[in-house]
Amino acid sequence: MDDAWVLPALPIAGFVVLLLFSPWLPRKGDWLAIGLMGITFLLVLVIGRDVQNAIGDGNFHGVARSWQWSNIPGVLEIRMGTFVDQITLVMLFCVTFVATMVMVYSTSYMHGDRRYGWFYAIVSLFVASMLTLVLADNLLLLYFAWELVGLCSMLLIGYYNDKQSAAEAAKKAFITTRVGDVGLLIGIIILFTQTHTFNIQQILAMAEAGDINSKWLTGAAICMFAGACGKSAQFPLHVWLPDAMEGPTPVSALIHAATMVVAGVYLVARMLPLFEAVDGMPELITVIGLITTLGAAFIGLAQRDIKRVVAYSTLNSLGLMMVALGSGAVGAAMLYLFVHSFFKASLFLASGSVIHATEQQEVDKLGGLWSKMPITAPVFAIGAAAMAGVIPLSGFWAKDEILAGVYHGPVNHAALVLVLISLPVTALYMTRVVLLTFFGEPKDHHVHEHAHESPPLMTVPIAILAGLTLVAGLVIFEGVGKALGFHSGWLGFVYNLGEGPEEFKVVWWLSIYSVVSVGASIAAGAWIWGGAAEPSKRAAAFSPFLYRMFLNRFYIDEVYQLVIDKVVLAAGQAVAWFDRAVVNDSGVNGTGEATNYLAFLAKYQQTGKIPNYALGIVIGVVVIAIVAFGYRT
Amino acid sequence: METVSSSIPLENFIVLSSMLFSIGVYGVLARRNAVLILMSVELMLNAVSINMVAFAVYTAPSLFVGIIFAIFVITIAAAEVGLALAIVLRVFKNRGTANVDEIDTLKW
Amino acid sequence: MTQVFFYLISAVVIAGALGVVLVRNVVYAALLLIMSLMGVAGIYILLSVEFLALVQVLVYGGAVTVLVLFALMLTRTGELKEKLDGEQKPLAAVAAIALLGTFLAMIMQTAWPRDVNQLTVVPFTDIGDALFNRWAVPFEIASGVLLVALIGAVVIAMQEEGER
Repeated sequence: MDDAWVLPALPIAGFVVLLLFSPWLPRKGDWLAIGLMGITFLLVLVIGRDVQNAIGDGNFHGVARSWQWSNIPGVLEIRMGTFVDQITLVMLFCVTFVATMVMVYSTSYMHGDRRYGWFYAIVSLFVASMLTLVLADNLLLLYFAWELVGLCSMLLIGYYNDKQSAAEAAKKAFITTRVGDVGLLIGIIILFTQTHTFNIQQILAMAEAGDINSKWLTGAAICMFAGACGKSAQFPLHVWLPDAMEGPTPVSALIHAATMVVAGVYLVARMLPLFEAVDGMPELITVIGLITTLGAAFIGLAQRDIKRVVAYSTLNSLGLMMVALGSGAVGAAMLYLFVHSFFKASLFLASGSVIHATEQQEVDKLGGLWSKMPITAPVFAIGAAAMAGVIPLSGFWAKDEILAGVYHGPVNHAALVLVLISLPVTALYMTRVVLLTFFGEPKDHHVHEHAHESPPLMTVPIAILAGLTLVAGLVIFEGVGKALGFHSGWLGFVYNLGEGPEEFKVVWWLSIYSVVSVGASIAAGAWIWGGAAEPSKRAAAFSPFLYRMFLNRFYIDEVYQLVIDKVVLAAGQAVAWFDRAVVNDSGVNGTGEATNYLAFLAKYQQTGKIPNYALGIVIGVVVIAIVAFGYRT
Repeated sequence: METVSSSIPLENFIVLSSMLFSIGVYGVLARRNAVLILMSVELMLNAVSINMVAFAVYTAPSLFVGIIFAIFVITIAAAEVGLALAIVLRVFKNRGTANVDEIDTLKW
Repeated sequence: MTQVFFYLISAVVIAGALGVVLVRNVVYAALLLIMSLMGVAGIYILLSVEFLALVQVLVYGGAVTVLVLFALMLTRTGELKEKLDGEQKPLAAVAAIALLGTFLAMIMQTAWPRDVNQLTVVPFTDIGDALFNRWAVPFEIASGVLLVALIGAVVIAMQEEGER
């Protein structure tokens, strides 16, 4: 467990080898990347056992190990190192497991791609950066990893770099997350100036003890939350995530389930004591999470692209996690993150399988694929059901915990109401996408006839993921936890170190509401989209305004575009004018031209006549003599 | 070596030397004929020689540094005059003039 | 008595020098230069350095002046009736007077290190000894320089091939 640094080191080794030698390796080295990832996953299991044993000893405060990074004696010592606790462990497990599955899946999905080796190299680096991010014991290292994650996501979203839309999506993702990253950096700097350390645990301790000036602490918390918003695609920085679908589907799965968007959730969970030390910060987190989760749920209702629907379901889930964190329910949030990584990965990989089979992403042109794809279809359905929160799939338990957390949490109960509203909406759009894709009459017979089930290398990983989706939620129960070798259920295991384990508690009326509302909305969905086309048209016609709002994602992208066009570009033009007229023409060129002109004037003192020069010498001698003489007397 | 009392103070020689030097400077600056300028340079050289000899005999007679230096100045002056007049002749042959302000190609 | 001689000789030196820089006839200027330099030889005698006075007469009165006269003749300076003074004559005067003023101010301000009314009489033999013992190497180098300069002067002034 002390040697957790090995975890990111292995994929980085894979990255370096693949980057340099992949063209000469058999199969371009994908086996190397997958093998290293598998080993990493097994090592995570070993670490999990160690953590479990350490908790058994009682008084567990996480395992930290650090090395000196740079040292200016007496001024500043920066250390880098790893910190392992339960939250880290959950992240490690999700990341390595999903990454392994995605990599296996990709051998088939990406088969024959011209940059196959590059793909594996970057995915390895992506995973390595994410592992570094979750293991980092100080904010500086975390920030480096954070930026690396952003870089890798851009490279992978823009993987089909000969496609205009992919290149633009990559740019959008990079720039949008960058807005948040700047916030994170500012927050880190503020914290450093106030605490003179980058070490997360020390900062948290100081924040909890109230040793940090509350104004600075508030500023730092808001800035860091902005960073988390950027990475975790929270409103208003969520716009990049749906566009990130332009990357290859396994990349989408990786980004959504494991390596990218959960980084923000992880950051908030990790720094939660700091956020809770700021007045109003939990409320802010909750509100942002609510806006994201509700907005995404409604948008999901009207989207036509299967991957976009799944993407908005991710936003939906991330918002929910933020809400849970805002209520202080770390265990619930991490549980949701845990199961989310399984069902979101299976949803994405299954939709990738659909796209692979049909080369079609529009749900309007799919349909009736259930019989054609006997493995993919159930996997997708299971994932969708888990996302919708159908009992007893994993999603249900996690959502139930979040509901209970919000109910018990300090935040206003209006938040609870809004979360409750989002549940049936989520169920509704997941039902819609499943029905439109796999059931009903095929809308495009050409596509339908050529559809086929994907090869085993794709179906096996998604089957494993779906299997886990079915059961993973059960770890909430103490019995299941003990059967897996843990001391207790999930909530007794995953908690913020400062706060101690929580009890598994059921709020019955919430659970019953959840079951009933989800069931009802699935039934409604089945009625609207299951049979004839008539009800769905009526649903769309019920309120054309709302439908248009949902379809066009509340016009947020358009608003941003407008703001960029009108404000940013105008400001840019002003700056450009300033640069051209003042800096360049007056400043740079002006200096040169002034020199030139002065030289033009000054050259006339070079008469070329030696007596003039001699006169200059004599006058110079006189002046020097007078000055030197004046100094002496 | 014997020392004798002199009724002329050192300053007198130095003032003479200064005046001679300044006149030489004026000649160098004011004249335009190269040969006349060289003559003015000779005046300046002689002024310096007087200066050094005067200091030598009045204040620092050991090793006769000033006197020896004056001898060298005369030697070098002879060399310089020979060389410089040769150059003036060459310039005159090439350009048809010995006036220094007409030789002004050394400019922009 | 010596003082009278000094002022007399000084007047000759200054008058000759002024003549060199002021007269409008170049041959007169050359002859006045001889006068001035002979005056300097007299100053050397007053300083009891007879050897230098002899050298002065030999080198300047003989060699240098003859050279100058030859140069004047060869450059036909006297025949061309050109202006002898440049455009910056007033400025030159100002600069020269300023220089002189600086010198005089310095001379007035300076505290001389020794009793400056005692002068050392330097016999011929001592100068000869010093020149060929202590200063032998510089002396030889000076001879070399002189030789090189004379050869150089000959080479420079020599008629090139095809030159009239």
